[in-house]
Amino acid sequence: MPIIETKNLTYTYPSATKPSIKNVTIKIEKGEFVLVTGPSGCGKTTLCRCFNGLIPHFYQGKLEGEITVAGLRVPDHPTYELAKHVGMVFQNPENQLFALSVEKDVAFGLENLGIPREEIRKRVDWALKLTGIYHLKERAPHELSGGQQQRVAIASVIAMQPEVIVLDEPTSFLDPLGAQKIFEVIYELNRQLGLTVVLVEHRLDLTAKYANHLIVMNNGEVVLDGDPRKILEYEEPQLMGVGIPKVTRLYKLLKADGIKLGSLLPLSPKELADEIRSVLKRDD
Amino acid sequence: MSFFDGLKFRKISSPIHNLDPRVKFIYACVIFVVAIIFWELIPLIGLFLIQIPLVQIARVRKEWARSMRGAAILALIIFFTNLIFSFLGAGSTFRISFLEYALAMMLRFLVLVEAFSIFFLTTSPDHLGLALEQSRVPYEFCFAFTTAIRFVPVLAGEAQTIIDAQKARGLELEKGSFFKRVRNYIPILIPLIVSAIRRSLELAEAMESRAWGAVKKRTNLYELKFKAGDYILGAVALSILAISIYVRLCLKVPTIEELLAFLISKI
Repeated sequence: MPIIETKNLTYTYPSATKPSIKNVTIKIEKGEFVLVTGPSGCGKTTLCRCFNGLIPHFYQGKLEGEITVAGLRVPDHPTYELAKHVGMVFQNPENQLFALSVEKDVAFGLENLGIPREEIRKRVDWALKLTGIYHLKERAPHELSGGQQQRVAIASVIAMQPEVIVLDEPTSFLDPLGAQKIFEVIYELNRQLGLTVVLVEHRLDLTAKYANHLIVMNNGEVVLDGDPRKILEYEEPQLMGVGIPKVTRLYKLLKADGIKLGSLLPLSPKELADEIRSVLKRDD
Repeated sequence: MSFFDGLKFRKISSPIHNLDPRVKFIYACVIFVVAIIFWELIPLIGLFLIQIPLVQIARVRKEWARSMRGAAILALIIFFTNLIFSFLGAGSTFRISFLEYALAMMLRFLVLVEAFSIFFLTTSPDHLGLALEQSRVPYEFCFAFTTAIRFVPVLAGEAQTIIDAQKARGLELEKGSFFKRVRNYIPILIPLIVSAIRRSLELAEAMESRAWGAVKKRTNLYELKFKAGDYILGAVALSILAISIYVRLCLKVPTIEELLAFLISKI
């Protein structure tokens, strides 16, 4: 059974005249690393808000169609119940940390759930170590860099031990190096814990290599959905303004020039380098 | 500004910092009450001196000195007002006791500032929030309190950015009459308020996503427990209160003038 399943999901914000997402039908399996991309204002964030019940409970508005997350029908369960299954990390790291120390922040969700103190202690330490910020646990959030803050936000979500973690452009406030670090942390969580990851991102250069499921949205609709290597082979994403990885573009250009590269579309510089190397060897 | 600096918490560890904030608060309140029930100079001097060892143990001498300096101007105003009014009240005649009374009133104020500045200098906002929570203040209020403190540096940074941006567009803040200058701040305040509201919405969203309000009785990572030091400070505070009430009710507190006269007569 898929962990997230939507059928003809359409949603209109209370003050809007036309829907922000239209007829979205997707299936996300357990343990997948899903990348959601598309031009700005295409409904990516709106879709994320549906996953943990912020839509329709927090935003209200009109939700039509079916959505089930971790076996729960979203409209029937309040956000705090869904929060146990779906962790959400937002764009701005500053606005999702409330406490005066990192440790207290990571404990916040667990405290809200009324989990016993010893268990909270254990899980907080576990989450801090997993995200590599154990040494910062006494610090105040405003003393940290953006990247560190975002790792605190991830740790605080992980501590609640959800089955899915949804990250809505978690690196748009960060420098490239900080972003790289965040993606590595997320990938490790996906690999080690089998955590289902839904990552909204338009910098495919940095993230495409981690994903095994790509969803491309445009104008509130899902246009392409499937294996990233297949999807990026098409021309459409590029036409819509999706920033496809440079290596992928280079691969396509080389191929168009008649160079016989392998049939596997490369998503990282390493993959392309390996292919070019093998071509050079063959020609020798 | 320097007066408020004296109330700003700085993270260090000392026996006083590790005390339970509730006990420290009771201590500050006891000092407050005792300072109010005495209007003679001698007990107030005692009260002032009794707290200096605490400042030493807490290693906040520099900050404490700054808050006292900040309070100095107000203290001088209190001193002179009292002096002048006693002088006028007695039909423009001067007595040594007036001077002593004015000094006592000034010292009373300084003792209050001293007690509460020790409290704020040695209590982390985090601890304070926890103390509120454990004193059965509804969690919503405690949360609002700690979040407000958490966002002070963030909003201060944002205000600076807005000021810089508006100045870059030609806004002149330090120009014109007093009212004009106040009006100059409107283009700073409006963006600041708008962004604070937007920020609060994002915060609410993040809170919802972290199971805010899931159970009635939430747990807490930390719990304040009374330790030996807390019992000692509590006992000290209560004995100061008891002794002071006894002295006030049953004994006559001499003024310095009387004390001197008494000592001279002995010699």
